[in-house]
Amino acid sequence: MQKLKAQNFNNLSESIIRTLAQNRIVTILDFLQEDVSKLTSLTKLSLHDVLTIRNEIFTTYSAPLINGTALLTKVYKSRSRISSGIDSLDSITNGGFPVRHITEICGLADSGKSQLCFQLAINVAKDDDSTVLYVDTKGDFSAVRVQKMLDAQGYSHKDMASIMYRIRVVHIWTMADLVDLFKGIKNKALEIENLALVIVDSLPCLMFQHLGDDNKMGLSLLNILVNYSRFIANEFNVAIIYINIQTRWIDSDISDLEDDGESTSAYKEAAYIEKKNRCLGKYWESVPVLVLQLEKLDLSSKENETCTELKASIITSNVTKSNNNQCVLNLSTMGIT
Amino acid sequence: MKTFKISNATELWQKETSLPAVASFSQSLDNILGINGFQLGSIIELLGLPGAGKTQLCLQLCASVQIPKELGGLNAEALYIDTNTNFTISRFREILSASLLRCQTILGEPLQMTENEALSKLHYVNAFGLEKFCAFMYRLPKFIEAHPNVKLIAIDSIAYPFKDGIPTKQRTGLLFRQMAELQRIAVQHQIAVVLSNEMSTRVGLSGGAVVGSLGDAWAHRCNVRLLLSTPQVTQDSTERLALLLKSNVAASTVARFKITEEGIRDAE
Repeated sequence: MQKLKAQNFNNLSESIIRTLAQNRIVTILDFLQEDVSKLTSLTKLSLHDVLTIRNEIFTTYSAPLINGTALLTKVYKSRSRISSGIDSLDSITNGGFPVRHITEICGLADSGKSQLCFQLAINVAKDDDSTVLYVDTKGDFSAVRVQKMLDAQGYSHKDMASIMYRIRVVHIWTMADLVDLFKGIKNKALEIENLALVIVDSLPCLMFQHLGDDNKMGLSLLNILVNYSRFIANEFNVAIIYINIQTRWIDSDISDLEDDGESTSAYKEAAYIEKKNRCLGKYWESVPVLVLQLEKLDLSSKENETCTELKASIITSNVTKSNNNQCVLNLSTMGIT
Repeated sequence: MKTFKISNATELWQKETSLPAVASFSQSLDNILGINGFQLGSIIELLGLPGAGKTQLCLQLCASVQIPKELGGLNAEALYIDTNTNFTISRFREILSASLLRCQTILGEPLQMTENEALSKLHYVNAFGLEKFCAFMYRLPKFIEAHPNVKLIAIDSIAYPFKDGIPTKQRTGLLFRQMAELQRIAVQHQIAVVLSNEMSTRVGLSGGAVVGSLGDAWAHRCNVRLLLSTPQVTQDSTERLALLLKSNVAASTVARFKITEEGIRDAE
């Protein structure tokens, strides 16, 4: 809670602040909770003055009121979607990733999450006035791969250099560092011009470091991170994409407990149900407004081996309303199209 | 407040391409990795059933890291963290001298290095058991500072210390903390990290029941995963297959190689 400071209020002098501090009234909250008549006797201010100070505090620190029209103009003035540069993906997401919100891309290991991230970083950075911040938590960012993708798409060396210049990469190894980084961006201590997209690849890598701890450190850091992310997304009009992973969970199907004994065990086939589970726990589940799941499709159906098909599907979404929520992406040396 | 080093992709590209990758002496194996070998700064996981050649490949890479600069090598040192006591010095000596001999024939002149000097470029740690392993991983940053010329760290195998005596949740937490630290060192000092991992069985999995051990979350941690196996029908018992399961650079493909007395070589 913020401390009482003389310069913020007209009627409070340094000496009054000192007297208040001696009576254990240090923060704004202490001041508000104290009985008004006691405050007047302590500060020797008139009742009216004390009430003015109280009102001043309330107007400065309460959440601001914005009317609907103002909100709508704000939304219309700034862009609401950032195009992924991939037509089929844009069509299922109603035009791209939502700006000012958190999006999640999840999938099993080797389902093309990082490759999609590289492609998104490239596609967004193609725009002269958009910078991409790529937060790499497991050393997965390969500039060589990005350069190869750009090369295969036929860019000149000069264009390649300028696109790659607009992709900023930062290596983060712990949850606490990530929180610090976001805090820096929020406080504008760390300025990145024209920031349009933040990609965090991947969050579980950091969160799993706290797995098995008895304390709830990991969760509390995650909570702070989410708050900072939401603030940054809103304040700077950026889209934030978090990469999450999925794990597989296998249940053996106990379908018929009251087996009547007619079928012998030799005939019974073991039935297993494979479930996919998004990591990061219950709290995270509802944080992203858009969850995109990636799956690798079987190579066998495809005679052309240089290209892998990925299926992208929207699992949960508050921001799209189209009936079609699946599309197929092609992953090749060129990147994802 | 902490300061963060934010680099743009161009700078990273220069860093990634400034040093050569570690070659395996099998061209087809190097090729499928997309960048002619084992990329510095990455964590590469070798998977396979017993006898698939995981340890042999680790030993070969420890020797390959010594290839002189004139031949496009690194002329560096290697650290071998042995957790399952699979390492034998006589076998490493065999591979090392064969590798250096090959360099000599290509160069056409004798190398300025005795066998003892070459052997001293391998740092061997026997980290048997979870406590010893964790203690060494804790000391690793200091070790790397004292030995700046180490360009390859091999851990054979990563799963072994965690087989017993630790609950699954704690295991994952500990592993991910260690890997974050390991990768930080690898990226900062441009070191290639090679881990070997065993296979385990998960009954009922749609993609086949035999998978790498340590679970699905772990599968996501390493930058490159390479599955080694023995082909079922073959005349040559030394032949092996390598399937690239996961990579951030190259598409999934298969390479053939063989394990000879001299180490890893291309299959005819």
